[in-house]
Amino acid sequence: MNSKDAILANIKKNIRHTYDKPEINIPGIHYPDVIQQFIDISETVGGKVEKLAQDDDVNDLIKRCYPDAKKIASSLPEITIATTNPNTVKQAQDLNDTEVTVVRGEWGVAENGCIWIPQAAKEKAAYFICEYLVILLSSKRIVHNMHEAYQKIQFNDYGFGTFISGPSKTADIEQALVMGAQSARGVTIILTDE
Amino acid sequence: MSTKHSKAAARFLSNEEGSQWHNQSIWYVRDKRDTLSKGLPEWEELRNLSSDIKRHTVTHLDQYLEKFALQAEANGVIVHWAKDAGEHNQIVYDILQQHQAKKLVKSKSMLTEECHLNDFLISKGIDVVETDLGERILQLMNIKPSHIVMPAIHIKREEVGKLFEEKLHTEKGNSDPTYLTKAARIHLRNEFMSADAGMTGANFGVAASGDIVVCTNEGNADMSTSMPKLHIVSMGIEKVIPDYASLSVFLRLLARSATGQPTTTYTSHFRKARPGGEMHIILVDNGRSDILGDELHWETLKCLRCGACMNTCPVYRRSGGYSYTYFIPGPIGINLGMLRSPQEYSDNVSACSLCCSCDNVCPAKINLSEQIYRWRQSFDTIGKADKMKKAMSYGMSIIFNNPGLYRTALKFAPIINKLPHGLIYNGLNAWGQGRELPSFAKHSFEELWKKGQVK
Amino acid sequence: MRIGLFIPCYVNSLFPEVGVAAYKLLKHLDVDVDYPLNQTCCGQPMANAGFENKAIPLAKKFEEMFKGYDYVVAPSASCAAFVKLNYPRLLEGKHFCQTSDKMMDICEFLHDVLKVRTLPGIFPHKVSLHNSCHGVRELNLSSASELNIPTYSKIKDLLSLVEGITVMEPDHVDECCGFGGMFSIEEPEVSVRMGTDKINNHLATGAEYITGPDSSCLMHMQGIARRTGKPIKFIHVVEILAAGL
Repeated sequence: MNSKDAILANIKKNIRHTYDKPEINIPGIHYPDVIQQFIDISETVGGKVEKLAQDDDVNDLIKRCYPDAKKIASSLPEITIATTNPNTVKQAQDLNDTEVTVVRGEWGVAENGCIWIPQAAKEKAAYFICEYLVILLSSKRIVHNMHEAYQKIQFNDYGFGTFISGPSKTADIEQALVMGAQSARGVTIILTDE
Repeated sequence: MSTKHSKAAARFLSNEEGSQWHNQSIWYVRDKRDTLSKGLPEWEELRNLSSDIKRHTVTHLDQYLEKFALQAEANGVIVHWAKDAGEHNQIVYDILQQHQAKKLVKSKSMLTEECHLNDFLISKGIDVVETDLGERILQLMNIKPSHIVMPAIHIKREEVGKLFEEKLHTEKGNSDPTYLTKAARIHLRNEFMSADAGMTGANFGVAASGDIVVCTNEGNADMSTSMPKLHIVSMGIEKVIPDYASLSVFLRLLARSATGQPTTTYTSHFRKARPGGEMHIILVDNGRSDILGDELHWETLKCLRCGACMNTCPVYRRSGGYSYTYFIPGPIGINLGMLRSPQEYSDNVSACSLCCSCDNVCPAKINLSEQIYRWRQSFDTIGKADKMKKAMSYGMSIIFNNPGLYRTALKFAPIINKLPHGLIYNGLNAWGQGRELPSFAKHSFEELWKKGQVK
Repeated sequence: MRIGLFIPCYVNSLFPEVGVAAYKLLKHLDVDVDYPLNQTCCGQPMANAGFENKAIPLAKKFEEMFKGYDYVVAPSASCAAFVKLNYPRLLEGKHFCQTSDKMMDICEFLHDVLKVRTLPGIFPHKVSLHNSCHGVRELNLSSASELNIPTYSKIKDLLSLVEGITVMEPDHVDECCGFGGMFSIEEPEVSVRMGTDKINNHLATGAEYITGPDSSCLMHMQGIARRTGKPIKFIHVVEILAAGL
């Protein structure tokens, strides 16, 4: 008997009595001002939030946030200041010197500052290898909690997706919190009206 | 009477400053958990749901595993099944061999610790690099984790500084955590760049979609899988869950329980291999399917490996992970160790005052303290009962079953109050090590009652 | 309503004044309370050590002794919890267990059954309340600090009826003191460190007394306090409630 069959057989043999699946229709916490809650939590977890004004250009805003950045990676056509495209690099390692990566977030979650980013370019390394991550997010796409977020994304087809909340961090050395462990040391969320 | 745990705990506590720091640092995490859990009105409802979902899933485990594997394979992922640790390790090595992979970068996985994977691969000539900062520090020091979520909690910054001076050529005498973390970032970045394969554990495997979900604060699971094209996942069979609705329940509980954060920085879903890459999932049994059949202890399969139980455990906080003989310490470790081998790991069962705090923080509502109590009852049968405890229990039993004998004992007991100090307080008196004995009352309550003095 | 008073082994032998206070208080509240003779032990010490089968004969005796009473009341949260939670399992198949439903810690009884609203006593002192683990987590005498539930404390409610008292609670409000029965001598170093930390938290409230529903916790902390010369006194909750009687 192969291992798969052996394991499944042993499981079946050992289950004594069964429990039904509970109904999961918990609404979860709701906030009076979902956008403000998202902004507050994003800042608490170490992110920065910028609102894109009607008459402002997103590229100018990014340049103002990161004036010294020379290597900017993005596969978004509207990011004209991009110097590298994660869709067209030969290999992931080529993104190693990326200072800023600009991505689009699909959904924001107010309870914990998570932003859902499904992989939208050939090399997902771009999201993690950069020094600073810029996430564009529509303020109309902020939900209250993870139950709602998962309802929004559950039928999407993607090979990889991630919720990102704030910069990479660690407290492994004496519980001292340090930003920028292996990935982005800073995150800026640009909230747009649309 | 003593156990390996009690002896090791005594050594741990002899470092007064270190043990106080350990206790306070870990209590702080329990405190943060409390703050966050009390900020969600639906917290206890989430815990109930979590327990119910896990009970359902685990008692339908064969169906969910088959569904999960089918989905994953439909996504182009290669699924392997490993009966035990040895088979798991061999499968990992075979995959690496097929791809001529020499360097493997890993994100944290207690399952691979359980299987002793690293030692096996290293003996076969594979360069294994732990990428979680805490785990990397321990790997460079050649020592084991002392907590399942904060593995290097017991290491001081000066020790890390000295280690990095030697291994990473950092500035002499610099033990600033920010400086050291930055040095580790550069070092590990090089490892990610040159790795041939990346390995992760799995916090959850979602049956409905075939996703593997990995939660990290550092992003090291994502870095490990974004450069090398080969991704190997080690997943315990009990980690499978039904669907995204269930996942949302667990994720809302997990980081709040584990570290007192509303979420980990990264919650990554791996569904398909990277373009041009290959993804493997190894489903590992290693005793889990047997645990299912254990009437008293099957609910340990609900465990999310969050560590909340050890954070609240007053004994763990004051004895540290190294006092336990099993690689997982604290309340869940006591239970899992006994399930692994009652003969080998019974020393940990003394590490519990039965305060029941762990039961209340467990996001899956495992009856941890009750299970520890039940393990104690099994000791006599498995030949692990401490002789002195047994003698005392039998002695008490004789006295308590015989009220006349009990009364006589009480009549003479006050004599102990008057005995010379040196006679009472010596090496044989474990109570007297740190405490004065209570005084026996001149007249017991029953005597007073009989004398008509209770009105 | 007939009450059977259960005086646990260590209260009988070490702290009979707690039993006396319990009796006096119940009589003052016009309770028909009786103390059956030949009581010994509920069996908890042996059970927690791993020999719960040694508790079975004691459980049978207990059932017999308290057969005719409406409630069995004890001035000890851990003993009441042990009987309540374990006797049904220990006696399964051997004896129909009725004491489990009838068993109550005296604080529970005063608060939930008698619904005491006034007490005659005066106790003009500052006390720090020791929330014993089994009282909190098994008998629900107060809201466990780990849980997200409305805050309550039956013992605080009762103590507040005593004139002049100031009731404080320590940091780490319901962390274990480290007694745990045989744990105290099987892991003496950890047990004493837990007790020392707990006493320090109590002392930090500025209280003159540490009080609680379990003499076992108090005995353990008192032993440490005496050894280390800490100037704090210990008194069982029921002694405070019976002040002046």
